[in-house]
Amino acid sequence: MSILSVRDIKKIYGAIQAVGGVSFDVEPGEILGVIGPNGSGKTTLFNSILGQIKPDAGKVEFEGKDISGGSPLELSRLGVGRTFQNLQVFGKLSLRDNLILAAQEHTGTFWGRMFASPDNGFADRAQEMLDLFRLNHVADLPAGSLSYGQQKLVDIAMAFMPKPRLVLLDEPCAGVNPSLVDGLRELLVELNKKQGGSFIVIEHNMDFIMKLCHRVVCMVEGKVLAVGKPEEIQGNRAVLEAYLGN
Amino acid sequence: MTDFMQLLLSGVAMGAIYAMAALGFTLLWQAAGTINFAQGEFVMLPAFAMLIGMSMGLPLWASFIVAVALSILVLGAAFKKWIVDPMRGSGVVSVVVATLGLSIGLKSFVKAGYSAEPHPFPSIFGDEVFKLAGVTISYSDVGALVFAGLMVVGLQMFLNKTITGRAMQAVAQNTFSAEALGINVKRMIFYTFAINAILVSVTALLITPTYLAKFDMGDNIGLKAFFAAIIGGFNNSRGALLGGILVGVLENLAGAYLTPAYKDGVALVLFLAVILVKPDGLLGTPQERKV
Repeated sequence: MSILSVRDIKKIYGAIQAVGGVSFDVEPGEILGVIGPNGSGKTTLFNSILGQIKPDAGKVEFEGKDISGGSPLELSRLGVGRTFQNLQVFGKLSLRDNLILAAQEHTGTFWGRMFASPDNGFADRAQEMLDLFRLNHVADLPAGSLSYGQQKLVDIAMAFMPKPRLVLLDEPCAGVNPSLVDGLRELLVELNKKQGGSFIVIEHNMDFIMKLCHRVVCMVEGKVLAVGKPEEIQGNRAVLEAYLGN
Repeated sequence: MTDFMQLLLSGVAMGAIYAMAALGFTLLWQAAGTINFAQGEFVMLPAFAMLIGMSMGLPLWASFIVAVALSILVLGAAFKKWIVDPMRGSGVVSVVVATLGLSIGLKSFVKAGYSAEPHPFPSIFGDEVFKLAGVTISYSDVGALVFAGLMVVGLQMFLNKTITGRAMQAVAQNTFSAEALGINVKRMIFYTFAINAILVSVTALLITPTYLAKFDMGDNIGLKAFFAAIIGGFNNSRGALLGGILVGVLENLAGAYLTPAYKDGVALVLFLAVILVKPDGLLGTPQERKV
């Protein structure tokens, strides 16, 4: 059974069809890339899947359960994480606290949240992520004081803190120093192997996506133009035309 | 010198009380983007709730507990649900106008429904005084200072040391991201309103013996708390404490050494001076939101 099944998602803004009937499946453990020129509806599709906007039509199933119209809160607690195009770290909290915060709402009771230890038992998990992302040396600094690339790593680490079974990564390479992109890819591969979750990755860096993903979906003008293995997408004439023109 | 110390201590005690109402201003702004211009009336209502409780034979402490419960229900949950939530999509100005209207409505309601006269209110700490190194100190000042101090420190600990407190901070800093991480944003915002309801109830308990319970007692308190919040920095809860104490101390000193007629103008002068020199407030930072 697919971990995520997206069926005929549509989203229209006035006269513009941002997403026009997109369908695809994500298999357990799979890393699926979503590519497409700017304005092709990738982020709108993400937001529709995650309940951050309400699609006009379509159905989304997570592990066989209909999650269409579910709120980001409900989806997060079901085990679906995400990162955003723009930085979403909590700048005044330390990096370590950001990581703990990202996991703590998934467990415990009302009284536990009021009176339990502030790390809620997630100190070890946070340390594990700090080690994995090589952020130990800045762990106790306010997240807002870190470089953009470091904050981007924090963003990604936060999404993985609660051990989600599906993570949607929106342009993880955006703003990251090109010399660090390969390292980021290796990290994601390691997380995929270690945690066994599935990822959906939106990205414009073709080299990154082709080396990272098991399959790639190419979107153009709100619709799926092609789906296939990275080498199939790279050789697809329609995809090349969509990016480079005729 | 002893007069000065006496004025200083009672000023700090009064300032700590202002700080609690000011803290409510900053919390509501941080978590819910709400500026509550009915904050003064939010202090007045629990005072009358306690008066009614005492007139029914309840002791002051029991009346206070009932007032806190009613405040959470009315000034927390109902205020959020029926006034703030419907207005939030329309921007800050709509909420400001709505709370200004609410302020007038609440005053008129109490004036017409209860009384236009000022009513004496007992101090929970009594009226006795004691002398320390020649300085006459009232138990009421010390009690207010300790009580308000504990409230402010307790609130800081709650926000920084508990899971829920940090989730509230996260909501204040980035609602979108907090929701995606599974934080129940609506609940965290309600907690903020509930905390404000507790703060105004404690403020009422401590300040009403001085101001007397009157339908318009909130005018002065609300205004001074608002100035204190701006002086300290509207986006920093520690700033509310600093602003409150500055207002309390300076108005006490001005009342004694200049003229009592200028006492109530001190907060305004200080407010003007601070926003001219440091528009974000003494401890505020540009474009930051943090509870």
